[in-house]
Amino acid sequence: MAEIVSLLYQFGTNAAFLLLAALGLIVILGMMNIINLAHGEFMMLGAYAASAAVHRGLPFPLAVLLSAVAVGVFGIVLERLVVRHFYGRELGALVVTWGISLILSQGTLIAFGPFMAPIAIPGGALTVGVYSFSTYWLFLMAICVVLLAGLGWLYKATEFGLQARATMQNAAMARALGIRVERVYMITFGLGSALAGLSGALLAPTTSIAPFMGQQFVAPAFITVVVGGGASVIGGAIGSSSLLSLVETPVSFLMGSFWGSIALLVTALVLIRILPNGVSSLRLRRRTRGARG
Amino acid sequence: MTDQTPPPETSVDGTAKASGPSRRTVLAGTAAAVGAAVLARPAIVRAASSDPVKIGFIEDQSGNLSIYGIQKLHAAQLAVAEINAGYTLAGGPVGPGVFGSNGLYAPKPETLKTDGAALDVVNDGGAPSKKATVVSDDDEILIKSGENGLLGRKVDLVSADGQSNNQLWQRLARRMIQQDKVDVLVAGFASAEREAIRPIVDQHKQLYFYTNQYEGGVADTNTFCTGAVCEQQVIPVMKYMVEKFGPKVFTIAANYNFGQLTASWVRSFAPVLGAEVIGEEFPPLEVSEFSSVIARVQAAKPDWVMTLLVGQNQSNYYPQAAASGLHLPMASTINMAQGYEHKRFKAPAMANMHNAVNYMQEIPTKRNQDFVARFYKMFPQDPYLGQMAQNTYFSVHLYAMAARLAGTTDQEKVRRTLEAGWTVEAPEGSVFLDPGTHACSHYIRLAVADQQQNISFEREWPSISPWWLTRMGVNLIGKPEHKQYTPDDDPFFKMFAAKKK
Amino acid sequence: MPQKRRPNPLRAAFTGPHDIGRTPPGWALMGLILLGFLLYPATASAFSATNVAYYLLNIPMALGLSLLWGYGGILSFGQVAFFAVAGYVYGVVAGNMTADPTLGSILGILAGLGAAGLLALIFGYFIFYARVAAWIVPILTLVLALLLSTFLGLTAGSAWKVGDVALGGYNGMNIPSLQIGNFIFQDYAFYYLTVATVVLCFIGLRIRVNSHRGQVLIALREDPLRTELLGYDVRLEQLVAFVIAAVLSGISGLLYVTWGNYITPSVTSLAQASLPVIWVAVGGRDSLFAVMILTFLLNQLTYVLSSAGNQYALIITGVLLVAVMLFAPEGLIPRLIELGRKALRLKEAT
Repeated sequence: MAEIVSLLYQFGTNAAFLLLAALGLIVILGMMNIINLAHGEFMMLGAYAASAAVHRGLPFPLAVLLSAVAVGVFGIVLERLVVRHFYGRELGALVVTWGISLILSQGTLIAFGPFMAPIAIPGGALTVGVYSFSTYWLFLMAICVVLLAGLGWLYKATEFGLQARATMQNAAMARALGIRVERVYMITFGLGSALAGLSGALLAPTTSIAPFMGQQFVAPAFITVVVGGGASVIGGAIGSSSLLSLVETPVSFLMGSFWGSIALLVTALVLIRILPNGVSSLRLRRRTRGARG
Repeated sequence: MTDQTPPPETSVDGTAKASGPSRRTVLAGTAAAVGAAVLARPAIVRAASSDPVKIGFIEDQSGNLSIYGIQKLHAAQLAVAEINAGYTLAGGPVGPGVFGSNGLYAPKPETLKTDGAALDVVNDGGAPSKKATVVSDDDEILIKSGENGLLGRKVDLVSADGQSNNQLWQRLARRMIQQDKVDVLVAGFASAEREAIRPIVDQHKQLYFYTNQYEGGVADTNTFCTGAVCEQQVIPVMKYMVEKFGPKVFTIAANYNFGQLTASWVRSFAPVLGAEVIGEEFPPLEVSEFSSVIARVQAAKPDWVMTLLVGQNQSNYYPQAAASGLHLPMASTINMAQGYEHKRFKAPAMANMHNAVNYMQEIPTKRNQDFVARFYKMFPQDPYLGQMAQNTYFSVHLYAMAARLAGTTDQEKVRRTLEAGWTVEAPEGSVFLDPGTHACSHYIRLAVADQQQNISFEREWPSISPWWLTRMGVNLIGKPEHKQYTPDDDPFFKMFAAKKK
Repeated sequence: MPQKRRPNPLRAAFTGPHDIGRTPPGWALMGLILLGFLLYPATASAFSATNVAYYLLNIPMALGLSLLWGYGGILSFGQVAFFAVAGYVYGVVAGNMTADPTLGSILGILAGLGAAGLLALIFGYFIFYARVAAWIVPILTLVLALLLSTFLGLTAGSAWKVGDVALGGYNGMNIPSLQIGNFIFQDYAFYYLTVATVVLCFIGLRIRVNSHRGQVLIALREDPLRTELLGYDVRLEQLVAFVIAAVLSGISGLLYVTWGNYITPSVTSLAQASLPVIWVAVGGRDSLFAVMILTFLLNQLTYVLSSAGNQYALIITGVLLVAVMLFAPEGLIPRLIELGRKALRLKEAT
């Protein structure tokens, strides 16, 4: 019994980690076809903002919200100044965001030194049998569910969501129909940045807050994104993060975390070969097949 | 503190037994004094013989490993400033003898009784017995050298930033050796950095000091490894942990050379020390999320955990384990003394951590407190003064002492002089440089972090020698070598290789 | 398809339309630069020559990426993976044959380049024949590089020994120099070897891009669908370009390991993986000549900045990258030439 709870908990933490690491990246990629290589640095900025706020006496939840807003605003500024010149030139965007990431990480090192004051992990521990679990990670899992539900609502049920989906499917047509495509892109990039900042702030207590911390999220985030695919943002995110952690969890529990991370990478490569357009294409394919039949 | 600041010249010429505050002002005035001396002298002395002695120094001042590199750089700068201001450390060649034969310090027996109850704790700084000791920990170790600089020349620290990038390390090492033609090279934090530049060092027969704590085994004619090695750290800390907490140990080690090799020391010495390794886990360096590691540890129910985690990602283990309610006693050979995790992480992430260190800035002896004061006088902004910074400090002094005795900076002759068997009075205590293996015996202390992450020293071993290379038959004087031995080369370790996972 | 008359390939390399420098002033400039590099050791110490050789040895990798990205429209973020594979395989082969260094060197070169090409063939088959979207290729190749870096980092134990050579995990692997008979390629000899290799790679690629297959590759960049409708197998063309680029990375890898006698998994880290992309993007990706010049200059710039202990090195690289992508998206050198021409025209007009 305790073993099952423990495995479920590990599955949840792995999936939550992958989701949080990838969410901002997925939103920007799925809606705008822009690969934001500065994503890890956006998360780093979120963590820095959270740490600064907490150590100025703000309560942690408020600090997290503040960091999300701050990084979101930063993202919008960056979009106006740089990123908007690269719509339709995906590879150019990739290179330019890499340049931004270099500036952000080394600039942070020079401006704030090699370390930022840590944030204590909020919450306590729950005990089941021999195992004990951090309540903070349980909270993070809940946050993931809330975030996904919120995104789903935003894109399915609001005016903005409708416009965004129209823009994603055919920007030229959307523009012809009077949708302000530029504005949709700007808001989407801001939203993706805010999500990255939020994730960075939420994960900040579990890591050491340093200029190059963003790098640890890059590989998992990309793997999640590639496996998820771009067809449906939220479906892909849920599908790939749960699928990947479904493989990683038992392997690392039974054979050690070395084999766990190897399993993660191998699964990703195999999945890409089977589903070149990602997990989200599965659903899409079934839908189109249904329509035909 | 009084704000009396005598002119720098007077304090430079002050006696070695100068009182605390006035001696501290020495260093404040050092730079000014050196500058004034250079300005005061006419250009006549700029002959070839008065070219500065060059100490090449490569560390990571930026990138991932900069928290270690900057400490080391500052310690080297302090040592160079002291040499140029006319100071040296106490000590000298004692021949290939044993610790204490220089008559400076004599060992004290272990202070913990076998039942573990009556601790003769020295965390209040204690008063060590004066019996059988010639120089106590309270005596001054920084003494006059009789000249400003080295061999009548100024000492220059030629430093470069390795940026935590091995390829750059190689290019910088080549530049130091071939272009700057440094007289000695002091460099390297990670073992990978040392191994990257060692082929270049050997190719040019460059005198080289590696000052980090490491996995041991380097037997190289041109290299002096002055940090502590596995046999000096793993065995003491394991012995203590087994006595205090029980035999069952779970090892979590970084999956790279240092972690693998140190874990094999733990595994092989467990039967000898009455311990039992009930589980091992080798997370890759990239892993930063540890829930499955924590679950495996909880399932195995060990008495204590050996954590040999390296780098920024892996240090996340500690807050995550604490938040998951994993409060087992921990032992390590690297944490706290290098990356000052007890200062960086919120308590109680590092609570109940035990590490057999050769140095931490909290060591309560007077000689160390003086050293710490000198360091922060020069670098008031620094967050911590750690183990490898102290090693760098005494290594630079040791080089100057040997060159002064050799009467030359000729690298071959200085190396031969260093092979005379030296005792140097370092801030940690007496250090003996073994001629045959180029490794140092160290004063080892068991550092423990309490719930507030304050450090105390629960047990001391005044001299543990680096015996493993001797056991492997290494004698660099009789038989030059350029390799790194690993436990695979020692049949003793093979006996335990097939031990259950 | 209609078979046009074939021009002399070497002539095409210097007059063909697909690069800058195809007129007499361009040739003169190239000749001057080459002459400068050939004469340089006369004035330089062995140390400086070795250093300059380092700036040069990355050029084949950059040229390969230029072919792949600038001419073929396929961005790979994982060229360093092939660089590392070639280096490691050379190290294992040559390290096991220290008794006969000449044979070890030759077999090591063949095995290293073969391994890089084979890996590219297998990996390229999976991605190009799966017809993944263009934006996935850079991510997949980046994941390949990171996977390789992780794997090589895990080879620390004694289990990872090939013959006498331990892979060595993060501590890396020591590698013997290139040796023919009793002649070891070091210092000046290594410098000339590097210069010769770079020149050969450059001329070879100029021939390639100005040949029929080069035209097909460029057509494919412009419009894959039309190219396919003209009867070309797009997947095969992409795969071939990918393998050529990988082998060129392998050449850089071989030069690197014989230059420093050492390799670690960090050569395929995230930071390293991005470097070739930076060189090619800043230089001007669809000009081999521009890429070659800028790769040399950028390598020199980072070295000079970092050895001066300048912590702004990474920031300067980043700013350069952003500025070039914003203001000269086709690359610095093509942009400069365009500006120069404009200025000339203005002068003529007035």
